[in-house]
Amino acid sequence: MTSLTYLRSFRVRSVDGPALLAGLIIAVPVIATLIAGLVFGGGDVWVHIRDTLLTGYTLGTLGTLALTAIMTLAIAVPAAWLVTMYRFPGRGLFEWLLILPLAAPGYVLAYAYADLMGLMGPFQMAIREATGLSARDYWFPDMRSLPGLAFVLTCALYPYVYLTARSAFVSQSVCALEAARSLGASSARRFWQVALPAARPAIAAGLALTLMEAAADYGAAEFLGVPTLTFGIVRAWQSFGDPSAASRLALILVVIVIALILTERHTRGRAGSQQSSTRWRTVSRTKLPIGAGLVASAFCGIVFLVAFFMPVSRLIWLSLESHDQIAPIGQALINTLILAGSGAALAFVLALTIALSARQSGLVAGFARIMASSGYAIPGAVLALGALLVMGQLGITLTGAWAIVALAWVYASRFTTSGAEPMVAALGRAPASMGYAAESLGASPLRRAVSVDLPVALSGAMAGALILFVESLKELPATLMLRPFNWDTLSVRANAYASDERLAAAALPSLLITLAGLLPVILLSWRLSHSRPGDTQ
Amino acid sequence: MSETLTATGISRRYGTSTVVKDVSLTLQPGHITALLGGSGAGKSTLLRLFAGLEPVDTGEIRLGDQLLSSPDKTVPAEKRRIGLIFQDFALFPHLTAAQNVAFGLKSMGKEAARALAAEWLERLGLTGRAEAYPHEISGGEQQRVAIARALAPSPAAILMDEPFSGLDPALRGSVRDTALAAIREAGIPALLVTHDPTEALESADCIAILQGGTLLQQGEAAEIYMNPASAAVAASLGPVSRLKAEHLPEGLAGQAVPAGTELIVRPEGVLHDENSPARAKVLASQLTGPLCRLLLQCNGQALTALVPRTTAPKAGTEIGIRLDPALTFMFQSADT
Repeated sequence: MTSLTYLRSFRVRSVDGPALLAGLIIAVPVIATLIAGLVFGGGDVWVHIRDTLLTGYTLGTLGTLALTAIMTLAIAVPAAWLVTMYRFPGRGLFEWLLILPLAAPGYVLAYAYADLMGLMGPFQMAIREATGLSARDYWFPDMRSLPGLAFVLTCALYPYVYLTARSAFVSQSVCALEAARSLGASSARRFWQVALPAARPAIAAGLALTLMEAAADYGAAEFLGVPTLTFGIVRAWQSFGDPSAASRLALILVVIVIALILTERHTRGRAGSQQSSTRWRTVSRTKLPIGAGLVASAFCGIVFLVAFFMPVSRLIWLSLESHDQIAPIGQALINTLILAGSGAALAFVLALTIALSARQSGLVAGFARIMASSGYAIPGAVLALGALLVMGQLGITLTGAWAIVALAWVYASRFTTSGAEPMVAALGRAPASMGYAAESLGASPLRRAVSVDLPVALSGAMAGALILFVESLKELPATLMLRPFNWDTLSVRANAYASDERLAAAALPSLLITLAGLLPVILLSWRLSHSRPGDTQ
Repeated sequence: MSETLTATGISRRYGTSTVVKDVSLTLQPGHITALLGGSGAGKSTLLRLFAGLEPVDTGEIRLGDQLLSSPDKTVPAEKRRIGLIFQDFALFPHLTAAQNVAFGLKSMGKEAARALAAEWLERLGLTGRAEAYPHEISGGEQQRVAIARALAPSPAAILMDEPFSGLDPALRGSVRDTALAAIREAGIPALLVTHDPTEALESADCIAILQGGTLLQQGEAAEIYMNPASAAVAASLGPVSRLKAEHLPEGLAGQAVPAGTELIVRPEGVLHDENSPARAKVLASQLTGPLCRLLLQCNGQALTALVPRTTAPKAGTEIGIRLDPALTFMFQSADT
């Protein structure tokens, strides 16, 4: 490329301005935290944290991530393989039931499991009743531990890997599997040596997402008493009141997140995963013999039961059993709707801008996209810290309406990329030549964006808006840090009740959050079952 | 010693539709049999039945004396030792060319498998590509790797599903020649599924024509081309003109044509002969390379002729024509 054409590709077009602005809005909290962490993070509080708590926080986060990764892979990949490749009792039902745990945030599952597995929970009571032993006489898994945290996070987050693995298995070349059969490969060898390596990048992407979410968790870690970096960040801000020490902790968390992203990129390596197939045939599922079929059903059934049905049923039971303890949550519901609505509205506009600019190539648009995706990988607590620092620098006190603005900003920063995804997907289904046709008919980039790409992108807008709203509604750490005084949302209220061990009171807001979370999950499973490449020749 | 792969009276149903109907087909060792038919004819299904990827509903498939498929028994694909080659190559994207070829050589030691894979890659002109991943090599090279992979484990037979149609036309001929030479050398039965009559005629020793799941005719390529059993078979092997007996002008056929007969004539069977009393108007003259395609109208009926470029008449002129009896086939008209 000559230097002149290189420079020309930097020219800012009418569609680039809004995209750059959107990217900047999203990236500022990230940049602010990083700068604060690097430059200002070295006060007394930091020294105290470094000397007494840092090792525990770091080991807590790394240990949780390692255990969550192992358990997630062990559950999600076999489940995805079974429902994609075999016929067994209940397969069609499990295919989408296994996505449902995505609806419940980790902290909600933590409350339910702490109660289920606790000393006074139904399991331990049943053991004592059946054996006559006292609580000291037997061992029982302790949920308030690092493995307990990894367990609830696995339950809440394994669907990310299940979804990406399933989608990779569905879209794999059936011909490659048949070629492997004709070369004498047994079904186990076809899984380990053909399907799994080809699906590895998709699985790694799902796992990276799972671990980023696990690293961002605050509610479950705090409730189960496991010190992690995100827990430490919120603690440094709330207890020590030192945002710069918190931002140095955030720096370490960001390094871990970047390491995860780089590891995921590395797994792609030189070996390809792109199938050479250009034509698809629906995977013809093999019917499992009765015994193996029942084992497959039992495996999928237990995963669904443990990850979703049991904890959610427990919360429903708790709400019904102790309805007299249920505190009114009307105001929290209204607050939640206002906050999630504002965050989703801002994020929606940003997501649409990013999706439309992604349609038009150019270095500026590419730069805007990179900035926009930075917030996605960063935990809410870190972004909240960034917003706090920026607002502090601007001399704005975070009270009343300003706090709501700051929270909407953080929600937008964190979730815009996931909201933009359905719109980018909608645009992806329209051929690129459509845009070229508009340009060849004399349409300017702006006119093309408004009159050609926008109507196409809007077909994915409902899904995008729903995802943005529900993600904002579930968010906990940033909401805890930035909300206006006495402005409780459902997640804050659930967290407060749970912290006071009033689990019955925490059950209703937790259930409402899960119910809202079900909407995008159902939409997602509908989209999945109606858009599999194998169905079209 | 290679054995014959034989299907006897096999059928396959999907729900209420029968995709393969009572097909009997014998694949001889060392011969390439082309299975020719349009889309939806049941070609790929028949291949999948031979491969053991689907069970038969009736009939049986045998390799020599060994029963491979019957309604009660299906030897699974992985136990048949029948190689498969696909249109989209179906290489394993995470394995190098050499690892792809060695995939089916598991029973050998690692070193022996590596050496044999290298030998096969060399045979197919892929020396130097052993360590490349599929996405790093061209389509033609990918297909040659797929062929090496299928042949390396010394299969008992080889089945190819439109193996060359995904390739660039400029590459197709050379990849096909290399591949088919290697397959012939292996001396095993080979089935080449194709929808391209030219490919079938150029590449195969035998041709089997499938339409609507039914085998219309099978035999040596030249025999079928010169003696089609039906108008459908004649049409499936290349373009033909159809003429009704009652509209034939005097002197065109050069032989007695009974009433109610349909004449099927190949383009090279329409001869330019100014001495013929049958006259035709040249509607268009299209250059196709060394030959010219003439679109003719004769007594209200359309005909296509292929003539040398140098002697091709111009569009709009009137010429004398006659039909070559060797390339004109008479069948009872479908209307009668």
